[in-house]
Amino acid sequence: MPLTRCWQLNTRHRFGIVAFFVYTSLFIFVLCCAFWPNSVLASSAVSTSALSTSITAESIESKKLDENPNVYFYAWGGDAQINAYIQWAAKQVQAKYNINLHHVKLSDTSEAVSRVLAEKSAGNNHKGSVDLVWINGANFATMSEHSLLLPNWANKLPNFKYTDPKNNPAVTFDFGIPTKGMEAPWGQASLTFYYDNLAIDGSANNQLPTTLDQLLKWSAKHPGRFSYPKPPDYLGMSFLKYALVVLHEKSDEKIKAQLNQVANEQNSKLVLTPLWDFLNQLHPTLWRHGQHFMQSGAQMRRLVDDTELSLAFTFSAPEVPAAVQRFDLPKSIRSYAMEDGSLSNTHFVAIPYNASQPKAAQLVANFLLSPEAQAHKQTPSVWGDKSVIIPTTLSPEQQALFKTQTPHPSALPFNSIKRTLSEPHPSWVEAILTGWQSRYGVRLLEASNEHDS
Amino acid sequence: MSMTPNIKPDLFTRIVKFSPRFLLALLILPVLGGLISVLLPAFGWAPALSQYSFNLQGFSELWLTPGIGKMVILSIVTGLVSTLLAFVITLMILASFFNSPWLNRIQHLLSPILVIPHAAAAIAVGFLIAPSGMFSRLLSPWLTGWELAPNGMFPHDPYGISIILGLTLKELPFLLLMALGVLAQPELGKKLRQQHKVALNLGYCPMTAFFKVVLPSLYPLLKLPTLAVLAYASANVEMPLILGPNTPPTLAVAIMHWFSDVDLNLRIKASAGALLQLLVTGGLLALWVGGEKTIKHFFSHLLTNGEREYGGVFWQKLTGLITALVIGFIILALIGLVMWSVAGFWRFPAAMPDQFVLSHFQNAMMQMSEPLFNSLVIGVITTALAIILALLCLEAEQLTGKNVSRFISLVIYLPLLVPSIAFLFGLVWLQQLINNQATFTHVVFTHLLFVLPYVFLSLTSSYRRLDPRFAHVAASLGTTPGNVFLKVKLPQLFAPILIAAALGLAISFGQYLPTLLAGGGRISTITTEAVTLANGASRRTSAVYAIIQMALPLIGFILAWILPKYFFKSARR
Repeated sequence: MPLTRCWQLNTRHRFGIVAFFVYTSLFIFVLCCAFWPNSVLASSAVSTSALSTSITAESIESKKLDENPNVYFYAWGGDAQINAYIQWAAKQVQAKYNINLHHVKLSDTSEAVSRVLAEKSAGNNHKGSVDLVWINGANFATMSEHSLLLPNWANKLPNFKYTDPKNNPAVTFDFGIPTKGMEAPWGQASLTFYYDNLAIDGSANNQLPTTLDQLLKWSAKHPGRFSYPKPPDYLGMSFLKYALVVLHEKSDEKIKAQLNQVANEQNSKLVLTPLWDFLNQLHPTLWRHGQHFMQSGAQMRRLVDDTELSLAFTFSAPEVPAAVQRFDLPKSIRSYAMEDGSLSNTHFVAIPYNASQPKAAQLVANFLLSPEAQAHKQTPSVWGDKSVIIPTTLSPEQQALFKTQTPHPSALPFNSIKRTLSEPHPSWVEAILTGWQSRYGVRLLEASNEHDS
Repeated sequence: MSMTPNIKPDLFTRIVKFSPRFLLALLILPVLGGLISVLLPAFGWAPALSQYSFNLQGFSELWLTPGIGKMVILSIVTGLVSTLLAFVITLMILASFFNSPWLNRIQHLLSPILVIPHAAAAIAVGFLIAPSGMFSRLLSPWLTGWELAPNGMFPHDPYGISIILGLTLKELPFLLLMALGVLAQPELGKKLRQQHKVALNLGYCPMTAFFKVVLPSLYPLLKLPTLAVLAYASANVEMPLILGPNTPPTLAVAIMHWFSDVDLNLRIKASAGALLQLLVTGGLLALWVGGEKTIKHFFSHLLTNGEREYGGVFWQKLTGLITALVIGFIILALIGLVMWSVAGFWRFPAAMPDQFVLSHFQNAMMQMSEPLFNSLVIGVITTALAIILALLCLEAEQLTGKNVSRFISLVIYLPLLVPSIAFLFGLVWLQQLINNQATFTHVVFTHLLFVLPYVFLSLTSSYRRLDPRFAHVAASLGTTPGNVFLKVKLPQLFAPILIAAALGLAISFGQYLPTLLAGGGRISTITTEAVTLANGASRRTSAVYAIIQMALPLIGFILAWILPKYFFKSARR
């Protein structure tokens, strides 16, 4: 065949080179295939002159923005459901206000904090890369301490009234620190527990623990079936804070009040001693005898799937049914809330002081606070994050948006959180962490060396 | 070709003659530069942190770190034991199956392991030995009575046994293939085989014959690869990160955490830690060389004592058993990996998933495009550069008519012998100093350091085996050196070049630490994603990533294997 002859002639002399090109072009082909779905890349932000720093009800009424601004929303991107919700919100603000909302996925919110801090020290005071950031707790404390946030706008948002701010300190205080209008509430999260009902079958000596005290006793009877992620993991720290707050339920009011104060050397010893006593009892009964801890909440979830653990907890209740739907957890998983209280906090969105698009960012924040967006967010199949809106402030039509469908069997039953516990002052995180590291951080090999000798 | 001395050599010749120096600079400068820029911060001189005084603060902080002693011990034990195991098993396999067709079969079974990145291998091993892993599923509940996964110790065991297991399984095929590569050298291989036969005829048991006749000639050529394995095993991060304990981790893992911490001041401590790692690895290398000298000194008389038999049958059976175990272990791990990637609900202790689904692959594929793209682009660019450079250097060797010196062979091993965790940090300091935006270039350059040695070593023997008469004939017909290289030599080297390309791609795909550090975490590849996911939420997703990680280099090797067959077939007609 002439074609093959021609090919042979070509290749006989240079076929080494030709073949190499074939080989590399195959790879280039493969990588082009890999690239195309990703080709929708964010165009760079076009900064428009910042107008007034806060929006009013009237400006919301005005139609779409003319200039089609890009708003860069820096938000933790570790959960597929949450990412999908942000995508939905992006479509909505595009249709409503002509805003291009870009979700910059963070693995840790502190990355956004250090970015703004770096921009401030570099003298970039107007064209910052972060327009909106999902934040609370220690990160908010850091940013407000360094005056990195735009103040006094959130309380003027038209939709802020639905949160009943006068009677609802949860939306004006973040871990006990007043927000001063620097951040708009977005949702509420509570520490919820989930268990494998084939492993904890409710029989006489295998009752589901519903208080911290029962948890300790249950774990002693069923050693190795519970643990918590190694601090400084966020979820592990949350468990320790839950334990700390519950342990001080019956303490003297004076000591209890210290939890809302800044931690220092004197009150640390006083406040944390019960926690260390509790952990000293709990640790020998934990998974791997409390000598090895998992790295993250995600790993803890996998260990439940492996049936190594029978009981675990999460700050984002809807991830449990979502994981069952993905086969990442068995069908026998059930969610519940502790009766002695669920550690709860509000999460917010804030605007850095140097945001390129502060006005458009406020429009987005206002939309996120709207009954429509909050109701969509609370839908279990979407995200299931508890709304910050107080239903009594809404019209009957708006209230109807919040009606629930039949939940997944593994989801947290509606209204099962009977009692919420508020977060201690952010400075306790550091105090707990330091104490934990020095007590339990390097236990393992010492124990094993004793064993060897 | 009548080239008189006063005519300037053409551009090609000049480039070729310059290339070995370029290669040396490319390998030595970054490693030395990296080491120096880790040395200075370790002693407190860090302009980036506005610290300009020399002090020992970094070391005192390091010394005060809780558990520092255990970190060092863990690094030493896992590194030494795994290398020793891999080395001894390699020798036993070679001794038992020398001159037997089984040696080739074992090689075929094990060589795919060579291209599996360490992270993927660690994930597969983890699936096997976990309390809910394949082993315990196969034995439960009929033998053990376990209805829930037991409270086991693997992986992440405090003694580092999981790490040792993972490293041994991964390094054994490497050492074995290196040894077989040496034996495949035409003259040496033939000589050794003949001597072995003579020993057999003199009544030596096959294993004794191997240890007394073949090993003394084989070991010097195996020494550098073994040392590279030892250096790697004592300082790598993927295996301990996925299989090791975390209270405390190995030294290398701890250094990596310090270096990537938000608190920049920890970098001083990290630099001091890197020097300690250098000391640990250097000490281990010295220990190995010392051990080798001791053994040589005390046992060399055994070579000539005439003893024919040391219970060879027993050792041969034991080796057969160990080989079968190793291969069975690897196969079981791979089966487990594939099953997890398509498993629906799969509750312990079922040995098989309840249903098979493809949704894990579909979901992963949707998020994989960027890491896959990065992996391929970096791999292709790096490998192309490495091959061009290696070919030019080898051509220089033929043009000047002498082989590369011992010094150069040692330098080529440099990036493999110096713990990457030690010089990479320094290199990243340097790269950030030069330009902290060009992360992509930095990653490619850093990968090149690790790809180049393998590509060079893989091309060397084929290049030296080229029949020089073809080149002489072409040159006598008036072809320029450049054309001789392109039209005569390269076509003959088609197959080896493809193999080297596949090897280079495989090495580049598998790099974790260089990608993470040089890319500042901003460039994600399949490997960085796989390591991140390994301890994460879903076994199913990490199985998918591990499989993709294995598939990429395998595709490369299959292409390298098929393409020459096709071309040579058509060329022969």
